Amino acid sequence: MPAPIAAATASKKRKNVKEGGVPSSKRRAVAETEAPDATADIQRLEDQISESRKHYNNIATLISMLNTDGSAKKPNVPAALSLCRVFSRLIAGGNLTESSRAAENEKIIVAWLKERLKEYQRSLLSIIRESDPSSQITALTLCLCIINERATHLPGEEGIWVTGLFKNVVESVVEANNGQAVLSEFIEKAKEFEDVRYYTFMQISEYANTRRSPETIDTLISILSACDSIPKPDHEFESFYTKTSKDNKRVVSVNSHKKRAQDAWLAILSNNLTQTQRKHLLRIMVHNIEPWFNRPELLMDFLTDSYNVGGATSLLALSGLFYLIQEKNLDYPQFYAKLYSLLDADLLHSKHRSRFFRLLNTFLASTHLPAALIASFLKLLARLALNAPPAAIVAIAPFTYNLLKEHPTCAFMLHRPLSDDARAAILHARGMDDPYDPAEPDPLRSRAIESSLWELDTLQSHYHPNVAAIVRILAEQFTKQFYNLEDFLDYTYQGMLQAELGTEDKPFKRVPVVEYQIPRRIFTDRLVEEDGGQDTAPGSLLRELWDFA
Amino acid sequence: MPPSQLKQLKASLRDGGLLGPQQSKKQKQQNAKSGVAAQNRIQRNTALQAIRDRFNPFEIKTTSRPKFDVTTRDVPKKNAAQARPGVTKSFGEEKRRQTLLQEMNRRNKVGGILDRRFGEDDPTMTPEERAAERFARQSQKKLRKESMFNLEEDDEEFQLTHKGETLSFGEGVNLDDFQEGDLGAEEDDDDSDFPRKRKRMLEDADSDLADITFDDGDEGGEQPERKKSKSEVMKEVIAKSKFYKLERQKAKEDDDDLREELDKGLPDLFDMLRGVKPPPKPEPPKDDLATMNPERVALLQGKTPDDAEREYDQRLKQLTFDKRSAPTDRTKTAEEKAEEEAQRLKTLEEERLRRMRGEESSESEAGAESEEDAEDEDGVESDDDESVFDDAKAFGLQQPIETTARPELGVEDEDDFIIDDDLVETRSDVSLSFDEEEHTDTGEGSEEEEDEDEQEDELINGLSIPGLTTGNATAAANSAAEASEGLAFTYPCPGSHEEFLDIIEDVPMQDLPTVVQRIRALHHPRLHSDNKTKLGRFAGILVQHVAYMAEQPDHPSFAIIENILRHIHSMAKSHPENVCQAYRAHLREIATSRPLNLHPGDLVILTGIATTFPTSDHFHAIATPAHLCVARYLGQGSVNTLTDFATGAYAASLCLQYQAISKRYMPEFINYSLNVLCHLNPKEYTDTSALGFFPSRSPSTSLRLRLSSKLMSSRKLQFWDMTDETEDEEQLKLSILTTIVNLLSTASDLWSGKSAYTEIFSPVEKVLTHVLQALETTTTSKIKGKPSKNPLPSSLLDNLNLTITKITAQLTQARNARRPLLLHNHRPLAIKTAIPKFEESFNPDKHYDPDRERAEANRLKAEYKRERKGAMRELRKDANFIAREKLREKKERDAEYERKYKRLVAEVQNEEGREANAYERVKRMRQGKR
Repeated sequence: MPAPIAAATASKKRKNVKEGGVPSSKRRAVAETEAPDATADIQRLEDQISESRKHYNNIATLISMLNTDGSAKKPNVPAALSLCRVFSRLIAGGNLTESSRAAENEKIIVAWLKERLKEYQRSLLSIIRESDPSSQITALTLCLCIINERATHLPGEEGIWVTGLFKNVVESVVEANNGQAVLSEFIEKAKEFEDVRYYTFMQISEYANTRRSPETIDTLISILSACDSIPKPDHEFESFYTKTSKDNKRVVSVNSHKKRAQDAWLAILSNNLTQTQRKHLLRIMVHNIEPWFNRPELLMDFLTDSYNVGGATSLLALSGLFYLIQEKNLDYPQFYAKLYSLLDADLLHSKHRSRFFRLLNTFLASTHLPAALIASFLKLLARLALNAPPAAIVAIAPFTYNLLKEHPTCAFMLHRPLSDDARAAILHARGMDDPYDPAEPDPLRSRAIESSLWELDTLQSHYHPNVAAIVRILAEQFTKQFYNLEDFLDYTYQGMLQAELGTEDKPFKRVPVVEYQIPRRIFTDRLVEEDGGQDTAPGSLLRELWDFA
Repeated sequence: MPPSQLKQLKASLRDGGLLGPQQSKKQKQQNAKSGVAAQNRIQRNTALQAIRDRFNPFEIKTTSRPKFDVTTRDVPKKNAAQARPGVTKSFGEEKRRQTLLQEMNRRNKVGGILDRRFGEDDPTMTPEERAAERFARQSQKKLRKESMFNLEEDDEEFQLTHKGETLSFGEGVNLDDFQEGDLGAEEDDDDSDFPRKRKRMLEDADSDLADITFDDGDEGGEQPERKKSKSEVMKEVIAKSKFYKLERQKAKEDDDDLREELDKGLPDLFDMLRGVKPPPKPEPPKDDLATMNPERVALLQGKTPDDAEREYDQRLKQLTFDKRSAPTDRTKTAEEKAEEEAQRLKTLEEERLRRMRGEESSESEAGAESEEDAEDEDGVESDDDESVFDDAKAFGLQQPIETTARPELGVEDEDDFIIDDDLVETRSDVSLSFDEEEHTDTGEGSEEEEDEDEQEDELINGLSIPGLTTGNATAAANSAAEASEGLAFTYPCPGSHEEFLDIIEDVPMQDLPTVVQRIRALHHPRLHSDNKTKLGRFAGILVQHVAYMAEQPDHPSFAIIENILRHIHSMAKSHPENVCQAYRAHLREIATSRPLNLHPGDLVILTGIATTFPTSDHFHAIATPAHLCVARYLGQGSVNTLTDFATGAYAASLCLQYQAISKRYMPEFINYSLNVLCHLNPKEYTDTSALGFFPSRSPSTSLRLRLSSKLMSSRKLQFWDMTDETEDEEQLKLSILTTIVNLLSTASDLWSGKSAYTEIFSPVEKVLTHVLQALETTTTSKIKGKPSKNPLPSSLLDNLNLTITKITAQLTQARNARRPLLLHNHRPLAIKTAIPKFEESFNPDKHYDPDRERAEANRLKAEYKRERKGAMRELRKDANFIAREKLREKKERDAEYERKYKRLVAEVQNEEGREANAYERVKRMRQGKR
C-alpha cells in the first residue's frame, strides 16, 4: 500500500518540485505571483491529511516541499507550519502510538509516520542551523511545539528532553550560523519556562564536557549567565512549557535544578577558556555563578588557578576566593603573601583599582593582623603611589590613615624620633638607606616597619592641589576617627577634570591671576642678545629642547 | 496665765501712747495751728496698725521657714520672707472688682453712650477748668471757619445800625470801643508815636471822609472798631518792632555818615593845623564810568557798599575753603626708580610664593574665601540632609556627575590600550614655504620697556612708532611697513571666531599681528564704552585662533603664534575673565573630546598657559586643569607611533616647564619618560618590573632603536615632529631619546630636595644605565672589527653618562640626607581633664553653664514655667471670683424673691385676715341676730 501512495506522491513531488523550485531560483516578482498558489496547495494537502488516512502520503510531499533543493538555506516556512500542525494533530490523536493489539498494517503506518516525523525534525534542525534568522526562530518554535506534543501525548517520551529532540535543538541553537536572533529567542524561552531551563542546563553540562571552540563557549556562557534568576530554597516552580513536567519530581525540585546548573557551570569552567572569558566569568562569579552552587568548594580549583595567573585575573579571582574563605572556611595558605604579591606596578593603573581597594580594606580590617604585615602593605602602596595616577593617590592616603589609626605601632613609619644619641650621630654623618626591601615576597620580613613613608611625604607636594591636601592629612594630627574609604574611590582623570572645569562657562568667584610679566619670547629666541645671549627667561627649558620652526 | 485679750489690748494701747489724758481745747487749737496735730495723727495710725498686726497673727505670713542651711538654695530676700496674704488678697479682689466684675456685668449688653466731651473723664481737671477749656475750644472752632462764603459766620457780626451807627444798648464791647476811640481821638493831637492808632486812622480814612460831618463834635460818630483778633495783634506787634528797628538803623546810619564826613575832614584839619597844603587828590575813578558799558556802570553804581562788602566776605570764605595746594611730587632719580621697580617685583614675587604655598593674601580675598567657605559649608550641610557626609568633599574632590555618557576610552585597563587609527596624521605634503625673515614682526621695534602700560602700548601702537630702534629692528619695521601696504587701516572688532576668520581671510599670515594690533588700537576702551566688552570677546577669539592656527596644515610661523600669544597675555591683564574663560573652554574641549590625543593646537594652548598664568600656584583655575590635562595624556595617552612619542616628549617638557618654580612632583612624567626609554632602547630588558614600579605600556609595533653601522646623528626635536612623519625615523628616535634624557636630568635637579628622591630616581638610574649598556654593547658587538667608529653621536653617550653620574651623585646625596620621618612633632593632644572646675566666689543664684545656648534655654524654660504658674493661679482666682460673684448675685436675687414673696404672702394674708375678720363679724352678727 505504501508503494502506490509513494508513487502518487512521487508524481506530485515532481510537480511540486517544479512549482516550489521556481520561486527559489527565479526572481521574486515571479515568486510573489506564485506564492498564493503554493500556500493554497499546502493548505489543500494539509486538509486532505486531516480528512483521511488515504492522504498520509501528502506528509511526504510536504516534507519534500520543505527542503526544496537539499540545503536548508531557504526553507518553505508555510510547509513547515502545516507539517507541524499535521504532526501535532496526529500525535494528539494517538496516531503515532503503537498498540500491541494493532494490526500489522497499522503498525506499518505508525512506523512510517514516525519515520516521517524524524525526517521532519531533522529538516527543522537543519533549518535552525543554517537558515536565515526569522526561519530559524520559526523552526525553533516548531521544534519546541513538537517536543511539547510528544512529551504530553506520547507516554514514556521524557527522553525527548534528555536525549531526544531537545538535545539536538540545543546543539543546533548553539552551533547555528549567525544565530544571534535564535539564540536570544531560545534564552527567552529558557528564562520563561523552568523546565526548558532545567533541561537546558542538563544539555549544556553534557555538551560542554567535550572541548569546544571559544566561540561556542561564549554562546554557552551567554545562555547560562542569562538564566540568572536563582531559585530560592522555597521556590515553587510554576511556569512549565509542557504540562507533564509538573509531575516530574526532578524538574520541580530546587536542589536538582541547582545541581544541573552547577554541573553546567562546572563543565564550562573546566573547558578551555580564553583569558577574556576567564575574566568575564570571574567578574560575574559572585553574583551569577556562586549562588547556583550547592557545593561552592567545587569552584575552588578554578578560583585558585585564576588567582595564580597573576595580574587582573588574580584581582578578579580575589573576591570569589574571599567569598569561599568567608563562607566555606576555605583554607588558603599564604593568602596575605599572595595578596602582597598582587601589589605590582600595574595595579594602581588598572581599572579594577577601586574593586581591589574595597577588598583590601576588608582583608586588612582585622586588628589582629601583625603590624609588620600592615607596614609592608602600607610601604609598598606608598612606593606604588610614587608612580600612580592622582585618583589612586587619593585613595591611598585615607587608606593609610585608617590603617595607621588602627595599628598605632605602624605610626612609627610617620614619626620616628631618635632616642639613641650614637645612632643619631651615625645617621647625621652617613645618612641611611631605606631598610625596606621591596623584593622580599614575604610581607612579614620586608622590614617595612623599620622604614618611613618618605614617599607620602614627597607626595604632599603633588601637582594637584586636592591630592596634595589629602596626602597632607598624614602630616597632621590624627584627630579624625577614620575616613570613609568609599568616598575616595572611583575617581578618574575625567572626573577630576570635570570637577575643575565644570561643563560650561561660569563666572569666576575670583578672577584668576595672570602672570605679571609678559615674556619676551615663548617659542622663538627673539631678543636673546638683550639678555646677554643667554636665555634664562621663563620657558627656557622648552626652547632649549625644542626647535620651533 | 496671760491676761485677757481686752486687758492686753488696753495695755498695748496705753503703751502706744494712744490712750492718754484728754487734751484741753486750748491745747488742741494750738496743736492744730502748729501742725502737730497732723503729725500726731500719722503717728497714731501707725501705732494702731502695729497693734492690729500684733493682735491678728494671721495677717502676716512667713512664707518659707529655713529647713537646712545649704548653699545652693535660693535664699529669699528678707522682706520677701513675710507676706500679707490678706492684703494681697483684698488687693487682688479689689482689682478684679474693677476689671473683671465690670466686664462680667457688661457682658451680653450691647450699645452704650461714649462720652466724648472734652475732659470728661480727666480726673485732674476741676469743673471750672473743664468749662474754660471747652469754651476756648468752641471759640477756636469758630475762628477756624474763615471761609469767604460762610454767610452764617457773619450773622454774629450782623448788627443793627442806624446811619452806620451801631444801635448800642449801653453795654457790651461797643461801649468800650467807643471810649477807647474817644481817648485816641483826644490824644491824636499830641502826635505821639502810636503807630497802631495811626494805622487804624489811615485805614479808616475813607470812612472818615464819609463821616466828616460827625467828626468834630460827636464822639460816637466814629465807626466802632471790631475787636482785633490775636493774630492781627501779633502782626501789629511785629510790624511795630520792625518799624522801630528800621528807624534805629536809619538814625545810626545817619550818625555814621556824619562821622565819616567828619573823619574825612580830619586830615584837612590836621593839615590846616600844621599849615601844609595837601597834595592834589587823584582823579576819582568815577570819571571812567562815562566810558564804560552803561549796563556795567549801572551795575557798579547800583551796588551798594553793603553788597560789595557781602561779596568780599563771600570771596574770603571761598578762599578759606579752597583746597590748599600741595607741593607736587618730586621727579624721581633713576636709582629711586630702579629701587621702586625692584620693590614692586619683590612684592609680586612674594605674592607668587604665597600663592604657591596655597595661602590666602589680603583681607579682601580672605573675606571672599571665608564667604565661599561658608557657602560651601552651607552646600555641604544641605547635602547632608540628602545624603551621608562625603569625606572626600572636604578636600574639594567631587565625584563626577554622570550626566553624560563618558566617552569610552577603555585605556585604564593595563592590558588593552585603544589604538587610534586616526592618530597618525599623514601630512607629507606640507610645504614649509614660510620665510625666515617673517619671524620678526612689526611691534618688535619698540618694546624694551618694562612697564606694563608701555608694554601694552608697544603691543598696540608699535605700528605708529616704528622707527625708534636701530639694527634689524628697523629693518623689521620696514619689512612690516612693506607688508602692511595692502592692509586696511580699520577692521571691525569680530564677535566670533568665524567673523575673525572672515576678516583675516585675505590677510597674509605675516600681517596677522598688524591686524590684531590695529583692532586693539581701534577699539581701545578709552575710545568707546562698549569697546571693553568687545575687546574681551576679541581676546577670547584670539585664544581660539591660536589653537586654530597651529592646527593648520601649512605650519604657520611660531613667531606669529608667539606674537598673538603675547597679545593675549597683554589683553589678559585687562580682560582676565574673557581670556581665562577661553582657555578653560579649550581645556574643556580637550578633556571631553580628545584627552588622549593632543593636537598641536592643544599643545600651543598649553604652552601659552605656561607663560600667561603662574603655573606655580597651589591652585589656579586654569593651571590646575592644564596640569591634569598634560598628566592625563602622559598617563594614558597612546604610545604607538614615534609621533606619539614626540608629543609625549613635548608634554613632558611642558610638565617640567610648569613645575620649574614650584617643583611639585608629577608621577606621570617619570612614568612616561621611563616607559619611552624602555621602548626606545635597542635591547629589550627581560624583566621590566625589576627596574621600578612604573607601569609598562608597549606600543603595538616595536619602536626600538635599530642600530646600524652607519653614522647616526641626533638633532634638536622639532615641534612638527609631533604631527609629521619623518624619513629618518632612527634619527627621530635618537632625538627623542636625547630629549628624554635631558628632561630626566632637569627633573633630577628639580626634585633633588624631595624626601623620596631615592625612590623616584633609582629606577631612573637603572633604566638609564640599562639604556647606556644596551647602546654600548650593541654598537661594540656590531662593529667589532673597527672600534674606531661608533655610529652613535658621542654627544648622546656623553649626555647619558653625564646624567647618570649626576643622578648617582644626587642619589648618594639623598641617601646622606635621609632621616627617619618626623611628621608628628605636634603638641600632643591633651587628655580630657576630669578635675571638677571650681568657681571662686560661687553664687548659687547664678548659672554656671558653660554652654551659653543651653543656659539661655534653661533660663527661658524657667521663665516660662514661672509665668505659666502665675497665669494659672490668676485664672483660678478669676474663676473663684466669678463663681463668688455669681453666687452673691444669686443670693441677692433669691433674697429679693424671698422678700417679694413674703410681702405678697403677707399682703394676701393681710387681705385674707381682713376678709376673715369681716366674715367673722358677719357671722357673729348673724349669730347675734339669732
